[in-house]
Amino acid sequence: MKLPFLREPLLHFLVLGAALFGLFSMLEKKDAEAPTKIVISASHIATVSDRFARTWRRAPTDQELQGLIEDDIRDEIFYREGRAAGLDRDDIVIRRRVRQKMEFLAEDIDGTEPSDEQLATYLVSNPELFRIEDRLTFHQVFLSANRRGSALEGDTQQVARVLAQTTSSTSPPTIGDPFLLGDEFRAMSQSDIAHTFGEAFVRQISSVEPGRWQGPIPSSFGAHFVFVDEHLSSKQPSLDTVREAVKREWMNARRVEAERKLYDQLRQRYQVVVETQPKATASEAGR
Amino acid sequence: MVIRLYTISRFAIVSTLAAGVLVTAAIAEDATTDIGTLDKESAEKAFPAKPPYSPYAGRNFPTRPYFGDTHLHTSYSMDAGAFGARLGPKDAYRFARGEEVIASSGQRAKLSRPLDFLVVADHSDGMGFFPQLLGGDAALLATPQGRKWYDEINSGKGAQAALDIVVSFGKGQMPKGFPTPGTPAYRSAWRETIMAAEEANDPGRFTAFIGYEWTSNDGGNNLHRNVIWRDNGAKASLVEPYTTLPPLGSPNPRDLWKWMAMTEEKTGAEILALAHNGNLSNGRMFPIIESFNGKRIDREYAENRVRWEPLYEATQIKGDGETHPFLSPNDEFANYERWDKGNLDLTEVKKPEMLEFEYVRSALKNGLKMEAELGVNPYKFGLVGSTDSHTGLTAVEEDNFFGKTSSSEPSADRAMHPFIKSDKAVIMGWETTASGYAAVWATENTREAIFDAMKRRETYATTGPRMVVRFFGGWDFESSDANNRMPAKIGYTKGVPMGGDLSSAPTGKAPSFLVAALKDPIGANLDRVQIIKGWLGKDGQTQERVYDVAVSGGRQIASDGRSKTSVGNTVDVANATWTNTIGAGEMITVWKDPDFDPALRAFYYVRVIEIPTPRWTAYDAKYYGIKLPNEVRMTTTERAYTSPIWYTP
Repeated sequence: MKLPFLREPLLHFLVLGAALFGLFSMLEKKDAEAPTKIVISASHIATVSDRFARTWRRAPTDQELQGLIEDDIRDEIFYREGRAAGLDRDDIVIRRRVRQKMEFLAEDIDGTEPSDEQLATYLVSNPELFRIEDRLTFHQVFLSANRRGSALEGDTQQVARVLAQTTSSTSPPTIGDPFLLGDEFRAMSQSDIAHTFGEAFVRQISSVEPGRWQGPIPSSFGAHFVFVDEHLSSKQPSLDTVREAVKREWMNARRVEAERKLYDQLRQRYQVVVETQPKATASEAGR
Repeated sequence: MVIRLYTISRFAIVSTLAAGVLVTAAIAEDATTDIGTLDKESAEKAFPAKPPYSPYAGRNFPTRPYFGDTHLHTSYSMDAGAFGARLGPKDAYRFARGEEVIASSGQRAKLSRPLDFLVVADHSDGMGFFPQLLGGDAALLATPQGRKWYDEINSGKGAQAALDIVVSFGKGQMPKGFPTPGTPAYRSAWRETIMAAEEANDPGRFTAFIGYEWTSNDGGNNLHRNVIWRDNGAKASLVEPYTTLPPLGSPNPRDLWKWMAMTEEKTGAEILALAHNGNLSNGRMFPIIESFNGKRIDREYAENRVRWEPLYEATQIKGDGETHPFLSPNDEFANYERWDKGNLDLTEVKKPEMLEFEYVRSALKNGLKMEAELGVNPYKFGLVGSTDSHTGLTAVEEDNFFGKTSSSEPSADRAMHPFIKSDKAVIMGWETTASGYAAVWATENTREAIFDAMKRRETYATTGPRMVVRFFGGWDFESSDANNRMPAKIGYTKGVPMGGDLSSAPTGKAPSFLVAALKDPIGANLDRVQIIKGWLGKDGQTQERVYDVAVSGGRQIASDGRSKTSVGNTVDVANATWTNTIGAGEMITVWKDPDFDPALRAFYYVRVIEIPTPRWTAYDAKYYGIKLPNEVRMTTTERAYTSPIWYTP
C-alpha cells in the first residue's frame, strides 16, 4: 500500500492540529456557543507567537504570524470537521484514522491517473512549461578582455571590419583568442547558452540572422563575433515526447488545486474572526 | 537591494599576446602571429574548412560541466525534521530544477539558475522517523521515550524534544519501534524517496539521483558517507539503505563497503559512496591507523576504499576541507572557512596531530605513502563540493544562502545564534559556510553519464560559483596549446583530464598541463589559477608546493613560481557589493613542472581563486540592517578545486 502521508501537506496541518490539542480544548466552550464561528483571540495569537519564538529564537514577522494564524484556522476547521463527522473518540488509532480520512478527501483526486485527454489539455494550456527551447548552432571569434585589455575596443572594431568582408562561414584562423569551451557550439539550448555566456548574451544571439558573421556581442569574458549556422526555433513538443513531465506537472497542479478546493469549500461554512493582535507584539515583529 | 557592478577587466595579463594578433588575414592568404606564420596550407590542416555533416562526429568528450549537489537533506532526515524542515524530496527536486518554493520558515525561495542534478541524501538511520512520531505511531508511543517526545511536541516543547532525539540517537539510545530497515514505516520512507527521484528525473535536462547518507558518527566523530545509485528505482527498491545502528547496521566503513558489494551483486546496480567533513572526524577520516581496530590500514581496506569511494566532498556548509594552515604553513590561501574546534558534536576538542588525517591535501599525500607501502592508494579520490543543507533547499550562493537547518534560514539573528554548542566549544551561526556545488564533466545530463564521470573522477568542487575549469595533463603540451582554438580537443588528444593518471615518463620529459578557467558568467572575476603539487620524497616523507600558473592584472610570477602581490579588494561591505574592475574573466595557460623527478610519486590539482566578494554575512547585515561583531568575517574568496592528476613512476 502506498502511504501518501509523508508527502501530504495536509498532514502537516493536521499534525499541527493535534499538537495544538490542548489549545483547542480552550476553544471548545466557544464552539458550543457558535459551532461555525472561529475566534482567534489575542491571547491565542500571543501563544502562537511565543511558540514560534521558542522554536526559532526570534519573534515571527508580521507575514509569518499571519501564516501561523492561517494555519491555525485551517487546523481548527479540519479538526472540527473531523470531530463533527464523529471520527474522533479518544484513542490514538482513531485519531490517526481521522487524519487519514481527511487526507483521502484530497488524495482521492490526487491518486487519479490522468487520461491522455487531460494531459493533452494541460499541455496546450501551459505551453511555456514544456516548450522545447530554441537551439542554436554557431561558431565564434572571441576577443578576450583579459588578453587584450585596453586594446579590446580597437581590436573589436578591426575584427568587425574584417568579418564584414568575409562571406565564408569559416573565420580566418589567425584572428581571435582561444576560449575555454572552444569556438563551435552545436545545437545549444538557450538556457545552456545563458549558463555559459550570460543572460544578455543569449538575448542578443537569439535575434541575429543566421548565415553571416555578426557582432560584437559582449559577455563578461570579452567580445564575441558569431556566425549562426542554424537556429532551430522553439516548438511545442508532442505529448508523447513529454508525457512524463506533463504528468508530473499535472499531478502537482492537481494536488495543489485539490487542497485548495477542499479547504475553500470547508472554509466557506465558517465565519472567521481574527482579533487584532496586541500592539506590543506587532512592534516586536516589525523590528 | 543588492547592486552588483560588472565591468570588463582592463588588465591584460599576457600583453605579448595582445600585440599584433590582429592581422587582416581574411584577405591576405597568410599571416604572422606571435606563434609563427600561418599560411593557408597549415591553416587548413589545423582547421578543416568543412566540418563533418554530423555535428556530433568526433565529439564524444564532455563539452560542458554539469553543476549539482550530491548531498541534500529534507524533512525525511531525522535531524532536519527536528529542526523544523517541512520540505520533502519532491519539493527539494522542484527547487533544484529552478522552481520557486516556500521554505520551511515561510519565505519564498528560488535559485538564481537551475542546477543540472541533485542527490537527495537523507540519513538512513531513522529515515521517516518524524512523520512516524508525529503521526502517533502506536509502537513508538508504547515506549517511555517515544511517549515523552510525542507529549513534548504536542505541548509546544518541540525544540526540546528535537534536541533530546538527536542526542539520544548519537548515544545509540533510541526507543523500540524506531524505524529500521524492514519495518513498514522505513520501507515507505525509502519508497517515497525513490519515487520522488524517479518523478523528477528528466534525462537530458535534469538528473535526480537516488541516494542516502550513511551517517557513521561514532563518539561524535564524523565518518559520514553518501551513497548514490547509477540506476533507476526498479533496482534501488530491491534493497533498503544501510544504517549505522547495530545489529542491522554498523558505524565501520568496512561494513558499508561489504553492503555495497552485496547490493551490486544481488541487484545488478552500480553504486558509489563519497565521504565528507573530515574536519569534524577528529583524525579519523583518512586514517593510517584505523580507529575501529587500532591497526595500520591493510591492503583490503585500501582496495575497498578506492573501489567504493572515487570522490570526496571537499567543501560544504560545515567548513572547507581542502587544507589547513597548520598543514600548509606556506599557503596563504589555506586559511579558508576553517572549522577546527572539535568533532561534530564538540564533545572532543581538536588536537593539531589530528589534522593530517582530516584534510584533502594531506590525505592525497598520505595516499602516495600508503601506495608505496601497500601497492594500492586508498586515497585516490576526485573532488566535489556539495551543500549538506538540511532544509530541502540547495541554496548556497552568498546572496541567496538558506542556511544549514530550517532554523538558520534567513533571519536577522541567525549569524549570532550558536550553531553547535557544548561545554568545550561553540561554533556560531556566522561560521557556517555558503558552500558548495559539484561540477561534473559528463557527456550528457543523465544519471548514467554523470555517474560514469564521477567514477572516473572527472569532477571539481566549487564553493558556490559556477566557474568552468579545465585541467589536462600529459607529456607534450606546449605553450602554444594555450592559444589553440579548441582547448578541449587538444587537451583530450594530448593528455588525460582531471582525475586521470600519468605514468612511464618519457626520458628527459616533465609532465605538462593545460589549465583553463572561466569565471561564473554572473559572478566575480578570477584572481589566479594555481597548481598544487604533492609528492613522496626519496626519504619517504611527503611534500607539497603551491605554484601560481596564471595571475590576473599584469602581475608577475617570480622564479619561485609564486606571485605574492594581492589582487586587491573592491568589496563594499556596508552595501554588500563589489566590482569586477580587478581580476580576469578567463585564463588559460600551459604549465610544466619545473621540479619533476621521474622516480617520485606525485599528484597535481588545480585551485582557482576568485577576487574577494561579500560573504553571506555581509548580505545579511545589509538586508536586515544589523551590525555584526568584528570577529564575523564579511568577505570571502570563493574557489574551485579540481580532482588531481596522479603521476606514478
